[in-house]
Amino acid sequence: MPTIEARGLTKRFGAHLLAVDHLDFDGIPGGVTGFLGPNGAGKTTTLRMLLGLVTPTSGSVRIDGHNYRHLPQPMERVGAVLEASGFHPARTARNHLKIVATMAGIPHSRVDECLELVGLSDSRDRRVGGFSMGMRQRLELARALLGKPDILILDEPANGLDPQGIAWLRDFLKFYASQDVSSGAEGRIVIISSHLLSEAQLIVDDVIVLTNGRLAAQGKLQDLLAGSKRAVNVKTPDAQRLVEALHEANLRAVLRHGYVVCDGCTPEQVAPIMVDKRIEVHEMVSSTESLESLFFSLTGGERSQLTPGGNFSGEGGGPNDPVPAAPRPTTSMGSQS
Amino acid sequence: MMRLLRAETRKLSTVWSTYVIAGIVVLIDVLAGVAFAFAPSGRHGGAAGIVPRGSLQWFGNVFSVLDTARLLALVLGAIIITGEYRHKTVTPTFLAEPRRGRVITSKLVASFGGGLLLGLITMLTGLVIGFVFVGVGFHSCVTFSGVNQGMSHAVCGLRQGVYYSASVHTMLHDWWRIAPGVVLGTGLFGLYGLGLGALLKNQVTAIVVGLIFTLVIESIVGAIWPTIGEYLPGQAATALENAARSTVSNTSLLPWWGGAIMLVIYGVALAAVGTLTTVRSDVT
Repeated sequence: MPTIEARGLTKRFGAHLLAVDHLDFDGIPGGVTGFLGPNGAGKTTTLRMLLGLVTPTSGSVRIDGHNYRHLPQPMERVGAVLEASGFHPARTARNHLKIVATMAGIPHSRVDECLELVGLSDSRDRRVGGFSMGMRQRLELARALLGKPDILILDEPANGLDPQGIAWLRDFLKFYASQDVSSGAEGRIVIISSHLLSEAQLIVDDVIVLTNGRLAAQGKLQDLLAGSKRAVNVKTPDAQRLVEALHEANLRAVLRHGYVVCDGCTPEQVAPIMVDKRIEVHEMVSSTESLESLFFSLTGGERSQLTPGGNFSGEGGGPNDPVPAAPRPTTSMGSQS
Repeated sequence: MMRLLRAETRKLSTVWSTYVIAGIVVLIDVLAGVAFAFAPSGRHGGAAGIVPRGSLQWFGNVFSVLDTARLLALVLGAIIITGEYRHKTVTPTFLAEPRRGRVITSKLVASFGGGLLLGLITMLTGLVIGFVFVGVGFHSCVTFSGVNQGMSHAVCGLRQGVYYSASVHTMLHDWWRIAPGVVLGTGLFGLYGLGLGALLKNQVTAIVVGLIFTLVIESIVGAIWPTIGEYLPGQAATALENAARSTVSNTSLLPWWGGAIMLVIYGVALAAVGTLTTVRSDVT
């Protein structure tokens, strides 16, 4: 059964920059773990220490009880897709993988298998220099899979992938994590780091949140979200009657920005009341706290430090919003999120 | 270790830069060989400044360019390690083999092998040029030298045959004299280039430093302090070549084995220092 254990993991760059500060965490088998945090939180540094590319200042991170550098066949234990990993532009995809396979002592038959697995079979004899970002990401993934590893580490894997590519990656990772390891244990460890929270929310089962090199939160995504706020927002011409009806049902409700906002309510509670009172409904939106707002509350609302992505368009408030954890509508017309 | 070496070989054979370097070696040999052969005065043109064509010394001039291959071996050695940093293939390399000392050791072997190959290529090119020159026949009836004008074809043909075999013998004699030294020196310069690359990491820096040191600084140091100069890489490689070269006075050169040892020390020591400093540092 694969294990990852980080204990007191610390990395200091120069005298002033403490990139990772006494980090403790464990790899969780059987699911996809999201390694989340704003830029500069220490995600990439941590993953690179895990892979023996960066030497920790103190502390350790062990894979199956070993430092990566002392693993006998590292690529058969851990596959890694890293952002700053490169290709010689003049080499073909196939030659690139053959070189890595040769170094790692992996049979060359795996090369075509892995290219097939990531959908690059048709481009295998093309030079990597002409590859798109998405194709390079797939080639990186193929390289990571060469050794059939039980642990897969992906640093910002969604970068450069188009929506179909992201959907494909999501399905692939879910499938990969659920596969039983050779020893028949709980499953594989898949860790992805991401700053695209809406994407991460769809992929990950567990989250490890980092801020300023420290652990801000760790646990099941569902558990973390379960403890968060939810609300129902209703647009109706009979606003005042609805507020009174909700108060009669002992629910908290106020009129805000033309909406009746019922804090801590579910659509299942609100909808029957509206039917009962024959209140005309123009719009009903159920909102739960998203991973994004949970993330902002955990990381101290450092919204401005985040890389702007499609999901950071700020529905929950502007960059200077004093209440960072504002609920954000996620679903419409009463469907549960 | 064997698989790392096989991987290094494949790395070299799958990029065009390797073939470009080999092509440059051949190109320099041909162009400079022809230039030295037919220039008004030879490189080592004696008192009169003219070396008789087809003489031992004349072939010496033609072949004197062949050791330029060592500069390209230096470039090849530097590229073998700095290319990994430049194209960031160092990440997949160190993921596949995290014991970095082994990676560098296999690269040392690969750069020495690559250098030897360049040495062979340059010597074979020299051999081809030599045969072409002999074959074209500067002593023959159709030569541009004009020596045989007015002779009958029969006499001319006879003389041609005699001169041909004599010229081939002369040519091979001079070729053999320098071949082992050039091949070994070129191989060891590959090692030296790898050491520089491992230490300096940046491709352009490593190549520029290597070439400027060999072409400029060594000459200056050698001119001012010959006793120091003879221990420098370029002179050490020349010492290898001059092993059997009795025609050239080599008072300020090490014995050939001394030159070989110095070059091994340069390559291995630079690579070792590079491994302990640059190569061991974080890959980010």
